[in-house]
Amino acid sequence: MDIEEVKQRAGPREFSPKDDLPEKYRKAATRMIQFHANSEIMGAYLERPFIREAPSLDRKLAFSAKVQDEIGHGQLLYRAAESLGIKDREQMLDELANGEGKFLNCFHYPMDSWVETPMIAFFVDGAAMRRQATLKQSSWEPYAHAMDKVCFEEGFHVKHGEAILYELMTGSKSEQERTQAAFEKWWPRIIQFFGPTDDKSTHHDFSADVGLKTMTNDELRNAFLNAYIPKAEKYGLEIPDTPRIRENDDGTYEVEEDDLDWDEFFTIAKNDAPGSHEQIGKRNRTQEAVEWVRNSMDGWESKSAGKTPQAAD
Amino acid sequence: MASAEQLAGPDELSEEEQEAVETLLFRLADDEFVVAERYTEWQVRAPTLESDLALANIAQDELGHARLWYDLLQDFGPDEPDLIWERPAGEWRHSTLTELPFDEGDWADPILRSYLYDVAEEIRLEALVDSSYARIRDRVGKIQGEEDYHREHAENWLERLTDDDEGTRRVQQALDKLLPYALTIFAPADEEIEARIDELGLRTMSLADMREEWLDTVVPYLEGLGLSVDEAELPEQYDTHHEGLELPDELGRDQSHTDDWDDLYDEFTNTYRDLDRSEATRIMKDPDEE
Repeated sequence: MDIEEVKQRAGPREFSPKDDLPEKYRKAATRMIQFHANSEIMGAYLERPFIREAPSLDRKLAFSAKVQDEIGHGQLLYRAAESLGIKDREQMLDELANGEGKFLNCFHYPMDSWVETPMIAFFVDGAAMRRQATLKQSSWEPYAHAMDKVCFEEGFHVKHGEAILYELMTGSKSEQERTQAAFEKWWPRIIQFFGPTDDKSTHHDFSADVGLKTMTNDELRNAFLNAYIPKAEKYGLEIPDTPRIRENDDGTYEVEEDDLDWDEFFTIAKNDAPGSHEQIGKRNRTQEAVEWVRNSMDGWESKSAGKTPQAAD
Repeated sequence: MASAEQLAGPDELSEEEQEAVETLLFRLADDEFVVAERYTEWQVRAPTLESDLALANIAQDELGHARLWYDLLQDFGPDEPDLIWERPAGEWRHSTLTELPFDEGDWADPILRSYLYDVAEEIRLEALVDSSYARIRDRVGKIQGEEDYHREHAENWLERLTDDDEGTRRVQQALDKLLPYALTIFAPADEEIEARIDELGLRTMSLADMREEWLDTVVPYLEGLGLSVDEAELPEQYDTHHEGLELPDELGRDQSHTDDWDDLYDEFTNTYRDLDRSEATRIMKDPDEE
């Protein structure tokens, strides 16, 4: 198939590993899905300490399950990316550990306190849900298929984040104030989650033309703001003055782009912010620490090929 | 002991009976809570995505079991904050095996630890199946059903790891470190109360008998993997309880703990203290309604 034919046929779940797709498509899809898979893993990194910090037994269980879900999503997405035949999972995990792999801007910032947890679990996950829901229509069938499960589970995560937010915002005055402060810190990052406005995005045109993506950054940001500004206000959060957000007559929003720190955003996009070094460094260190196990497993698997015990994963 | 009379419900127990039930429940609940707390450290850090998911499952099972046992302690009045978030570190009764920290990347430790722990867990659950206390008896089956694959998981990993020299060296190192602590699983919280637990038929096997069965299981298995178990002679010397034995100084059961426990305790109670909470949010159904 050539690019023109791909563009012509592009539609929801149109292409699968049976199709002979041009390298350009397979590379673009790999880049997109790898980014998504990496983000699942790095998001889990950020949230992991809060399994321990959770202030009730049920919350602890829920946090552990959520982190586990994110790893499961990573696993699923790497599989969907592998099926494009460009990179295998090991290569993608190596790239993540050595700093070549890219992931969501929000996961490059440290998260220090429990009051910050709903910023990820409610707002960032809510934003991700918006995007992921549209990806059920992606032209790469294995990706769209993975989104069915991911969206289903993310629905629970957003509820979990929302419940924590509600609890904090109906808690003591100090809890409310600290949550508001956390919100002010995270809000611009959350808006940047959707990237710059369309004209600054370098990858959009092609991915849209071949049906990998179905909505633009602007459309997604708008849909998110439409849903989440009222939700934030409902829980008593005040929307910060910057970035300035204007509501148009047609109900859409316009974000004053100059109010956002795009230098920081693009530094993060290059994995070059202090938080990027911190998070990737941790990932690298912890992965190297268990390298001996993977080596030992390689030996075991080549010796006992075909009869590897199922339960030992 | 199987013929011991049935005990009354939580509201009608004598003081001595209640103390015995509580002691037994704290042994169970604290073990499950703390071992899970440690397992979760491996989330996002395990050798592969698959092993990450599997150990996270096990951690959640154990946390769920802790929840069931703490819930029975609530029958006697205390709430979750009294039992977990506000209970002083020095009053916990878990075996010190569960509280030891992991060295970074030392995957042999959680695997061996879970093996040693899960064999003991199977034995002690079996000894609760015919407990004279109905509230305990009623919950054992559910827990047993979820424990099945834990041991299998650990064994499959041990077989893999001991298949090469580096892995064997690592597992042996973990064994040398963990075995003395694993024996504290069977240490008495208090001699007199433990005897009462047996007399009342709360469990149908004494600590000494459970320990013997445990050793009869783990020692040959580990030796079969090419590991050496120097303490294989332990049962006899152990009969004189914990004086002058090669047990660690901190048994856990008697509320003595390692410094690492204090650190762990400070970490997991941090948010609760930091936010000045006095309640713990429940989001799941009461176990009696499940």
